[in-house]
Amino acid sequence: MTDIAIVGVGATPQGKLPGSTSLSLAVDAFIDALADSGLAKDDIDGLLTFPGTTAPEQGLNYLRLGEELGMNPLLTGSLSMGGASAGSLVQMAAAAIQAGLATTVACVFGDAARTGGSRFGRASGWGDSWGIWGMFGAAANSALVASRHMALYGTTGEQLAEVAVACRYHASLNPAAVMRTPITVADHQASRWIVEPLRLLDCCLISDGGVCVIVTSMDRARDLRQPPVRIAGMGQAHTNQTLGSKDWLAVPHQRTAVHDAYRTAGVGPGDIDVAQLYDNFTISVLLWLEHAGFCAPGEGGSFVEGGRIRLGGELPVNTAGGNLSESYMEGWLHIVEGVRQIRGQAGVRQVPDAEVCLVTGRGMSLNCANAMILTGA
Amino acid sequence: MSEISRPVPVVTEENRPFWEGLAEGRLLLQRCSGCGHPRYPIALVCPRCLSKEHGWEAMSGRGTVFSSVVFHQVYHPAFADRVPYNVAMVELDEGPLIMTNVVGTDQVTVGMPVQVIFTAIEGAVIHQFVPRDPE
Ligand SMILES: [Zn+2]
Repeated sequence: MTDIAIVGVGATPQGKLPGSTSLSLAVDAFIDALADSGLAKDDIDGLLTFPGTTAPEQGLNYLRLGEELGMNPLLTGSLSMGGASAGSLVQMAAAAIQAGLATTVACVFGDAARTGGSRFGRASGWGDSWGIWGMFGAAANSALVASRHMALYGTTGEQLAEVAVACRYHASLNPAAVMRTPITVADHQASRWIVEPLRLLDCCLISDGGVCVIVTSMDRARDLRQPPVRIAGMGQAHTNQTLGSKDWLAVPHQRTAVHDAYRTAGVGPGDIDVAQLYDNFTISVLLWLEHAGFCAPGEGGSFVEGGRIRLGGELPVNTAGGNLSESYMEGWLHIVEGVRQIRGQAGVRQVPDAEVCLVTGRGMSLNCANAMILTGA
Repeated sequence: MSEISRPVPVVTEENRPFWEGLAEGRLLLQRCSGCGHPRYPIALVCPRCLSKEHGWEAMSGRGTVFSSVVFHQVYHPAFADRVPYNVAMVELDEGPLIMTNVVGTDQVTVGMPVQVIFTAIEGAVIHQFVPRDPE
C-alpha cells in the first residue's frame, strides 16, 4: 500500500466549448482542483501534463502551461500516452513523491478536441502505412479486438450494447455529462455501423474539456480540505508491438497492470465496490472485466447482461458515464469519479459504502495500460 | 472520386525488397539470420535476438484470417465509393501477422483460410487475400 493520496480534483465544463483552447482548459482545471484541495498555488511543486490532441507545443506542454501558471516546480514534464496518460502521470507523481523529488504534484490535461477539429480518423500504423488497406481511425483496432472476441467466445452486439446503455444511464444521473438522454439496447442496435462490428453507440465521444488531479503524501493529505483518497495500489504494463505480437488484440498487459495494482494494495477483485474502466469503445470494458478477474476470459459479454454493471448492480462501472457518455477526457474523469465515489461525494450516483474503487486507463489504441486502487484514508 | 488518390506505400531502403517483391508477384518477408524468426512489420533488427542480419524469403501466401472488420465510415475521400470494405489481419502459415484486405467475398470469418493475391493500385502493387479451400 502506498502512502500517497489524491487531495484535489478539478474539471471544466465538458462538451463543445467554443473559444476554449487546450491551454485555457488546463488552466481552468488546475484552478478548480486547487480550490477543491484547499492548497495554494505555491504548495504545488510538481507539474506533470498530457498535451492532448490540440496543444500546439505538444511535448513542451509542461513549459507552456507552467509559464502560464507562474510555476517553478521541482518536478515537471509531459507524457503523450493517449488514454493511459492520466493514470501514468498520477502514478509518476506518486512515485516521485515517495522518492522525495516533490511533495505535491498537479497532473493536468486540457484539450479542445471537439472545437479544435481533432482528427481521430487518420490512418493507423507508423507513417500512416495501414491507410494503404483503408485502415483508418481510432475505432478500427478496437473493432478488430471485438471481431476476434466475438469469434472466439460468441460475444454479441447486444452484449456490447449493455455497456453503452449502462454508461448512458449513469450519465443521465450526472449533470456534468455531455450525453444524458438514456438509450436502450435497441437504440444501440439501430445505430449505424462505424467499423463493423462496432456501431456509433459503441464509440466514445469527442469533447472539449480539462481535468486536474493533485497528488501528495498521506501525511500532508490529512490536514487538507477534502477527505484523503489513498492510492492504495498501482500498476502499469505496456506493449510497444502491434502486428509483431500475437497477443496484441488480447491486451494481456491490462491483466498485468490490474494485478500489480491489486498486489500493491493487498486486495482482489472480490474487494472492489465500484470500478471506472477505460471505455474508448464498449468492447474495452469487457476486456477489463475479464482481465481484472471479475469473470473468466471470454465471459465479459455475459457478465454485463442483466444490469450487473449498472448502479444497483453487482459491480457498478463508469458511474459518471465514462468516455462513452460523460465526456471523452481520455480517462481523466475516470480518476475524478473514482475519487468522488471514495469521498462519498457522488450524489445520486453514489455507490453505498464504496470503500475500494478500481480505476483503469488505456492508451495508444491497445498498447498502454494502467490501474489504480483507490481507498479511504 | 477517382481523382483523389488513396494512400500508397512509402518505399524506403529498408522496405524496398518487400514492395518490389509484391510487384513481381512474391510476398517477401524478412527472416532473421541469427535465430530464424520470420518477422513483420519490416524492421532494422530482429525483435527476438536483435540481429541485423536477415534474408528476404518468399512466403507461401497461405494463411488464415486472424481478425476481420468492415469499414462503413468514410475516413478518407479515396475510399468514399468503396465502403463497405473489408480490412483484416491475416496470420500467415509461416507465423507473421499482416494487415490486408480480404476481397472476393463479403463473408469473411475469423479462421477462414485465405491465399494472397497481388493487386495493382495507382502507383503500386499491394497484397490482398482471397478465400481458399482448406487443404
Ligand atoms: Zn533473430
